[in-house]
Amino acid sequence: MNWTLALPEIVLAVSGLVILAAGVLMRKEEAFLPSATLSVAAMIVSGFLVTTSSSGFGYGDVFVVDAFARFIKLLVIAGGVASITLSIGYSDGKSALPFETPILMLFSTLGAMIMASSANLMTLFVGLELSSLSIYILCAIERDRVEAAEAGLKYFILGSLASGLLLYGASLAYGFAGTMEFAPIAVEINGAGALPVGLVIGVVFIVVGLAFKLSAVPFHMWTPDVYQGSPTPVTAFMAGAPKFAAFALILRVMMGPFGAMSPRWQLLIEVISALSMLFGALAAIPQRDIKRLMAYSSIGHMGYAMMGLAAATPVGTRGTLVYLTTYLVMNVGVFGVISAMRRRGREVTTIADLAGLGRTNPAMAMVMAICMFSMIGVPPLAGFFGKFMVFGAAWNAGLYGLVAVGALSAVIGAFYYLRVVKVVYFDASVAPFDKPAPSIAFVSAAMGLATVLFLLALGPVSEAAGAAAKALVG
Amino acid sequence: MNDAFAQIGLGPFLTVGAALLVLGVFGIFLNRKNIIIIMMSMELILLAANINLVAFSAALGDLSGQVLTVFVLTIAAAEAAIGLAILTVYFRNRGSIQVEDVALMKG
Amino acid sequence: MMIQLVFYVFAAVLIASSAMVIFAKNPVHSVLFLILGFFNAAGLFLLAGAEFLAMILVIVYVGAVAVLFLFVVMMLDIDFARMREGLQRYAPLGAAVGGVLFAELAMAAAHWASSPVMPEPITGGLGQPGGPMTNTAALGTLLYTHYILLFQACGLVLLVAMIGAITLTLREKPTGRRQVIGKQHERMRADTLEMLTLPLGFGTDANGGFLRPAKGYYDTAVPGSYGVPAAPEPPREEVRKVDGDAP
Repeated sequence: MNWTLALPEIVLAVSGLVILAAGVLMRKEEAFLPSATLSVAAMIVSGFLVTTSSSGFGYGDVFVVDAFARFIKLLVIAGGVASITLSIGYSDGKSALPFETPILMLFSTLGAMIMASSANLMTLFVGLELSSLSIYILCAIERDRVEAAEAGLKYFILGSLASGLLLYGASLAYGFAGTMEFAPIAVEINGAGALPVGLVIGVVFIVVGLAFKLSAVPFHMWTPDVYQGSPTPVTAFMAGAPKFAAFALILRVMMGPFGAMSPRWQLLIEVISALSMLFGALAAIPQRDIKRLMAYSSIGHMGYAMMGLAAATPVGTRGTLVYLTTYLVMNVGVFGVISAMRRRGREVTTIADLAGLGRTNPAMAMVMAICMFSMIGVPPLAGFFGKFMVFGAAWNAGLYGLVAVGALSAVIGAFYYLRVVKVVYFDASVAPFDKPAPSIAFVSAAMGLATVLFLLALGPVSEAAGAAAKALVG
Repeated sequence: MNDAFAQIGLGPFLTVGAALLVLGVFGIFLNRKNIIIIMMSMELILLAANINLVAFSAALGDLSGQVLTVFVLTIAAAEAAIGLAILTVYFRNRGSIQVEDVALMKG
Repeated sequence: MMIQLVFYVFAAVLIASSAMVIFAKNPVHSVLFLILGFFNAAGLFLLAGAEFLAMILVIVYVGAVAVLFLFVVMMLDIDFARMREGLQRYAPLGAAVGGVLFAELAMAAAHWASSPVMPEPITGGLGQPGGPMTNTAALGTLLYTHYILLFQACGLVLLVAMIGAITLTLREKPTGRRQVIGKQHERMRADTLEMLTLPLGFGTDANGGFLRPAKGYYDTAVPGSYGVPAAPEPPREEVRKVDGDAP
């Protein structure tokens, strides 16, 4: 058995245990910084191991490593590293997070990595739960804030309902396909003339469960409240790692076992994608809170990313992967700025609080503006390339209606993104924010720069995404 | 496939599972009173999936369904612990676990 | 025929008690019905040949999870007046649940004809471990070899749950006294003990009594902890006298 396939995961898990033990032995107030730094280091090491890991099946065929899994894992790790770094700066202020926060983020990242590598319904479920359970705790980790407790409760209830439905679907898929493994399920589907109806129901349940984790319409209702109530670094984390992993699974299931019957599910994905884009654009307009705004924005972005899946072609999958990469970069940039929104140690999150940032802190304002323009899709910023590739793939697949809806919601979305930019630069300034913590400033600056210079990385990223898509479709 | 299972057949087991699933989902959406009942409904949904898994495992003569059930039981225990911990935190903050009260943030 | 009957009794009670979980007015009743439901599900597992899972369901689920629920219901339910109302109100319900349970257990015992050895060893086509195995042995063989990765991942899930439960609910009391091992080891004898050489026949009282260390328990203790007044008093200047003989 080739156990080295899971080496990045094993390293991450063992480091998590060691950091936890070390943190417990330290004094409570002093443990946060070491545990966060060590977690970041462990994740970077694990990311390096991911790039060098070999491909193949392992652990009794429950675990698969291929170019696709590697791509998603790197995205997930990048999201985790960025959020932990943000949490260091966030914890400097008054509302200190406990030292378990980075460790839980580490375990959640680990769960997402297991999901990305799953070749089996069991691996899918265990990875998903490891990832989600950590996030339920993270939402409520500021336990003396009633909003955080409520966010945690809401996310827990709806999230475990989704997990339950997914599990029920998995049980049906297992029974009617006769196996838990994806590859034999594919054989079963391609061989049989008529699909057993139980299998179809099972897969629908699984897709519903995953769509919930993606917060795609119509399973989005938890997103705004949970995003608003959770601590900002946790929100940044939620908008990244678990979504990439859920996307990985949808892609793997749809393009792998169910790839051959794409004409049958294409319409379903198209509808989810179109609804998410439109809803994300329209519902964001009246928002006053920047974190809620980002929640609706993320719903919309998931819709765009799904456009590539709706195309059901390798080019579309590549587009989705590139889109997710650009989304990671600009999203972390925005959340970096949001983490820095503090006045005298107190966090403020309304859009009006950003007024006059262009004069009081030009650098932050610049990052915010860059990321907002990138989210609209203005060339040559990162967001443009993602949008360009998914729109192109959908157009080539003949989904003209979907492209039209996408274009329309991009225009509507531009309105509220531009409103933020207007508030930042043209409104009368209110009191300046506190000086941002170095780690927050670093993350936002780096992401702002990456958004601008994404053009330089476009070649390698789209090449890797192409290889990943090829590994998936086979 | 053992004797008892062969006499009963797969269908009745799946029916029981489906009934439990429906009851669980019902419990979540109809319950307007108490969050803890919602959590128990979640346990019912997981139990429904477990019954399905065990029945399929017996019908297919394949143990992987039972292995997944072991995992599900483990994870459900963890989930219950976390859920109740979050509920306790919420109770400390609000002094109530009524469903109607969970509406601080709107929009 | 008998087997079918057993199945339908278990199934009917399971579904009825699940319905009661949802519709019961009192959350304590809901938990009790949940427990009854788990017992019946265990019966169904037995019929399907999953002996190990049936036992786990009773031991882990009823023993831990359902009781945890009960615990939290009791802890959180604010309507104590109705709670205290009583044993006699719960008694008939408890007796009924117990009766049904007993009847079922008797039935299960009578009809659990399944052999301790499974007729066909089922290993999921993963290589025969050779010879017939009990359900438990077969599951164990699979869990610790084929599915070791997932088994370990489940361990991590439990760890995460533990971290979560502790982080979210543990409140360290500000009045609690913790042992600081380093400090304890650094303490020298001179800090706590003073050796006096007294001439013969010279009583301790005449000498002003034994002296407590300058900084005693009451000066270093956190205000509010045991025996210490909540509001910090001005530090005591005078040394206290200790009655009695030398320690």
